[in-house]
Amino acid sequence: MPNYLSNMRPDFKPRTVQCGKIPCYQYRGSLKDAVADGSLSKQTAIDMLEDMLTIREFEEMIVKLRSGAYEPTPTYNYRGPTHVSIGQEATSVGACFGIAPDDYITSTHRGHGDSIAKGCAAIRAMDVEDLQARVPDAKAKSRKELVEAALEDHVYRTIAELFGKEDGYCKGRGGGMHIADFKVGHLGANAIVGGGVPIATGAATAARYLGDGIVTCCFAGDGAYANGVVLESLNWAAMGQFTNALAKDKAFGLPVIYLIVNNHYGMTHRSDDEVMGVEFMSRRAAGFADNNMHAETVNGMDVMAVRDAVMRAAEGCRKGKGPYLVELDTYRYYGHSLSDPRNEYRTKDEEMAWKAVDPVETFERDLLEAKVVSPAKLNALRQKVADRNARAAKKAADAADPNPADVIKYMYTDTAADKVPERFAKVEIVKEAPVIKRTDAGELTYKDAIKEALFEEMLRDGRVIHYGEDISDYGGAFKVTKGLLEAFGRQRVFNSPISEAALCGVAVGAAMTGLRPVVELMYMDFCLMASDQISNQAAKWHYMSGACAEIPLVYRASVGGGKGYGGQHSQTLESVFAHIPGLYVVYPATPYDAKGMLKSAIRDNNPILFVESQLLYGNKGVVPREEYLIPLGTADVKRQGKDLTIVCWGPAVLDSLAAAEMLEKESGVSVEVLDLRSLVPLDEAAILESVRKTGRCVVASQCITIGSYMGDITSLIMEKAFDSLDAPVVRVGAKNGIAPQSHILEAAFLPNAKDIAAAARGIL
Amino acid sequence: MAQAVAMPKFGQMVEESSIVKWHKKEGDSVRKGEILFEIETDKAVMEVESFFEGTLLKILVKENVSVPVSSVVGYIGTPGEAIPATPPPTAAAAPVPPQTPAPAQPAKPQPAPVQQASAALPAVAPRAPASVRPDGLVPSDAKVTPGARAPAPALPAAPARQIISPRAKALVKRSCIDPSPIAGSGPGGRVQERDVRAYMESRNYSAIRISPAAKKLAAAREVDILRVRGTGAGGRIMIHDVERAVAERPRALTKMRQVIARRLTESFTTTPHFYVTVAADITDLLVFRKDLKNRGEVYTVTDFVLEAVIMSLQEFPILNSVCDGRTVRWHGSVDLGMAVSLEDGLVVPAIRNAQDLGMRELHDTAASLAARAREGKLTPDEMTGSTFTVSNMGMLDVDTFHAIINPGEAGILAVATARDRVVARNGKMEIRSMMNMTLSVDHRIVDGSLAADFVNAIRKKLEDVALWTSLT
Repeated sequence: MPNYLSNMRPDFKPRTVQCGKIPCYQYRGSLKDAVADGSLSKQTAIDMLEDMLTIREFEEMIVKLRSGAYEPTPTYNYRGPTHVSIGQEATSVGACFGIAPDDYITSTHRGHGDSIAKGCAAIRAMDVEDLQARVPDAKAKSRKELVEAALEDHVYRTIAELFGKEDGYCKGRGGGMHIADFKVGHLGANAIVGGGVPIATGAATAARYLGDGIVTCCFAGDGAYANGVVLESLNWAAMGQFTNALAKDKAFGLPVIYLIVNNHYGMTHRSDDEVMGVEFMSRRAAGFADNNMHAETVNGMDVMAVRDAVMRAAEGCRKGKGPYLVELDTYRYYGHSLSDPRNEYRTKDEEMAWKAVDPVETFERDLLEAKVVSPAKLNALRQKVADRNARAAKKAADAADPNPADVIKYMYTDTAADKVPERFAKVEIVKEAPVIKRTDAGELTYKDAIKEALFEEMLRDGRVIHYGEDISDYGGAFKVTKGLLEAFGRQRVFNSPISEAALCGVAVGAAMTGLRPVVELMYMDFCLMASDQISNQAAKWHYMSGACAEIPLVYRASVGGGKGYGGQHSQTLESVFAHIPGLYVVYPATPYDAKGMLKSAIRDNNPILFVESQLLYGNKGVVPREEYLIPLGTADVKRQGKDLTIVCWGPAVLDSLAAAEMLEKESGVSVEVLDLRSLVPLDEAAILESVRKTGRCVVASQCITIGSYMGDITSLIMEKAFDSLDAPVVRVGAKNGIAPQSHILEAAFLPNAKDIAAAARGIL
Repeated sequence: MAQAVAMPKFGQMVEESSIVKWHKKEGDSVRKGEILFEIETDKAVMEVESFFEGTLLKILVKENVSVPVSSVVGYIGTPGEAIPATPPPTAAAAPVPPQTPAPAQPAKPQPAPVQQASAALPAVAPRAPASVRPDGLVPSDAKVTPGARAPAPALPAAPARQIISPRAKALVKRSCIDPSPIAGSGPGGRVQERDVRAYMESRNYSAIRISPAAKKLAAAREVDILRVRGTGAGGRIMIHDVERAVAERPRALTKMRQVIARRLTESFTTTPHFYVTVAADITDLLVFRKDLKNRGEVYTVTDFVLEAVIMSLQEFPILNSVCDGRTVRWHGSVDLGMAVSLEDGLVVPAIRNAQDLGMRELHDTAASLAARAREGKLTPDEMTGSTFTVSNMGMLDVDTFHAIINPGEAGILAVATARDRVVARNGKMEIRSMMNMTLSVDHRIVDGSLAADFVNAIRKKLEDVALWTSLT
């Protein structure tokens, strides 16, 4: 029985789509009232001011550093970005006081404020034990002193990251634009505009699945809300299947708050009137959810209003009413960076008008008026913040730089999910296990081998989820996943919208926050739609976070070459991604390898591009029933030989084996076929060992030859086995062109066994 | 811009030179006038001073690489300065063509080192240097025949490049064999591992017994162990066998020796020589010389021989001429060549306009040239252009020897050691100091009687003390 069959009818009755109402600037509260009614303690109000002052002091330091005028570090030469957010402090602090300390945030390239606010809020909520763990060297005794020490450490580690020091949050690998502190739920600032939005969506997807009550607050600017992956993410968040009958008893809206920090400028472009067509960005929500994602626009210069809106949104999220979208109307006093003088696109009068409603000054005034602080106490607070920043900056300037020898340390993790936590080890089959038929000889098809790997790993570990286009009820375009929905239910096996960038980005966020997502990309060509998420996010976060985050995910990408689908459905692109450091790239050629490698990939804690070939899906091979794993980064000698080596991967392995047979028959040449299986990590030793033995090498794959990974293999052999070569290493790939649709042309385009044999003869 | 330092051109005929020693290394500061490097031309080794002040930024031409004159050999400037991205000059590997005088216009005489008799100096017969590969291995097909005329007796010529795969090359190196006889069976004739193995089998390589130390040495010195005869038990190749092979293998001649080889071979194979020997009685001359010495006037026997030759050449101008086989040309002045032996060769400085010099001037000029020749300080022009040569081996204890005519000249006089002999004189036996002199002449222009007259004219002068009394 199918799970879900659509059964709709044409219905063209005249009617009007109601877009509902989006409230703007409706906050009617005040600090005075909040303190009076007890919804805000005086200390919390003071803490909010302190955090805003801390942010401003920090960013004014950056401004002064650039001109060499920051007195505590007169000789320090700061190199790096200067994307300050002065003027926007209320958005960071208001939001971080609106969510819970355990909640997640994602931030932007202008994210110092968010990062400082999130850290401060989390530190204040920590118990003594956590504080001592955070600042083990502190001599402080009381909790209050410990908090103070932790706050100073927080400022220090933030500045140290800005300065590229080993003591920084990301060990100087990320810098201010990629700062993250996963320990307090800060999932990273993101220097790709909009890049953090699918990550936030993924974190919320994980939180929804795990049901641990965590909300993700996604900071992103107005500029980001013109970006494709952001709009894809909004659509993802509002998917019907999360909340309607398909979710059954798991109906729960995605717990995410999209905060549009609208400072009205992209880099310098004016969002108002110039590059966008709406007066209020909150209207974006209306395109994705019938409830407009509870959208509203809030005065982003008023920290109380921001806190109020985010608090309400977080509360709603925890009740399963997410997603929420809140536009914060705010202003950036400085330019995009300090090299931007601003006078080319806006007036001084405009700036003065916004500074007149400065969030820090306004809140100070409110605090004085409400008699929460005395003028003397306020001055003391300002001085404390300035002194703390000065000490932290001086310490950071003097701190040790990372060791140049460690430049590529943290590129990959060597960990894997060898043991499944008890909570996720008890997986039950929802309905029935998928049908996977073996022949009498114990053979499986390549695609059933993949299915069996997915099934076994999902059964082993409840953190593994699988989604992609059409993979659930339909079982995927190539029926690889047929039966998994029935086995594990829609919580773990679900269809995604046709949003490749979001698919890949959501996986990053989910992987950061406890899941082990497996994503199917129907055609490898579509990787290019998602290249930012694969290359800039999945691949980079382990390194950019200084190894504070692991991104255990698998992108299953299927190559369509060889079946006449033309230029956009036939590409063999593993070379492109092998060039992206931080990503593993593997490509099994046999059912046995496909299963053993996919199981390893799912357990590995690195992001992995797992390439499959539609040409191979129907191939059969013996696949044992017993559990086995094939370690990634190990090549396999598919055929022993002594006269010539063919190094190959993917479908070219089968062509190479055929070529080896031909050569053996026609001239008795003994050919060794080495299937790399894994491009990254690369089994250099196996290549060199084989070539040192035979002295001749053909490198074969279905990649177009130019600029491909085959060139790297060739170079490797030249560099490390030159004296073993009896002939030049030659490459056999596809023609340097675009895959044609015509069967005749495609046959000429792709390499085959004859091409490989001919290349071999040329060097024998 | 950094200043380019060029390979200087010493003398009109010098086309290439090599730096035998850099006195500065890259990064050293150089003062103007400081010795920068020493070069070896086909004539001599000389020091070259810097024209520039600064730092030696780059050495383009390493030691012992011959390059055309005027090539940039290095750059001097201030550190950090840009150096033009010119490729270093290519080594002049092509052999220098023999200088054959054109028939219509006989070439200017080309004085050059003279090979003395083979008995006098260790035989350095041309050993087919063209077949010596840069690595010092001799291809098996190269016939090493002492004395045979070399096809291109200059620098070791680059053999046609053998294409050999890295793997085959590594095997060759590991096996300590010379790959040059191996024919390649790979694409484009590339020698591949299988070809090396087949060759080794054909040479019964596996039967070779060699001590590990000997093999190590053979590898280090690139000795082909297929050509080493083992003297150990059962024919095992031992260290001393390899050492012998190293010592026995051909080495490239020095520039000077190559020039000697080329020019003397040319002379000896194109000029029909014949020889006339006379014994001059210099007993009286020696007494006279001793008297002069006692009076404080020092002359060498050579001075008297030179003067006697100068005077005789004026009497017999045909001996002061040059023949190219079709024409004969007389030299209007006597520019007397004087062979001077050096450590590894010899040079022939010329005494210009010798006919105009008095005995004292002659002595001083000859002494100065000889001294400077030994110090390597002759200028190229002082080493060229002699018209007749005297080679005196009197101090070397020889009875007689035959010299080879210096190209461009008609004769050479080989002067042997004066010995006390019993001779019949005025019907009595007397002990006299007899000095053999052998004249080598170009038979194309000088016949026996003329040669006899000329050499006797010299002899008579040496025996005529009255003549010397008048001249000194």
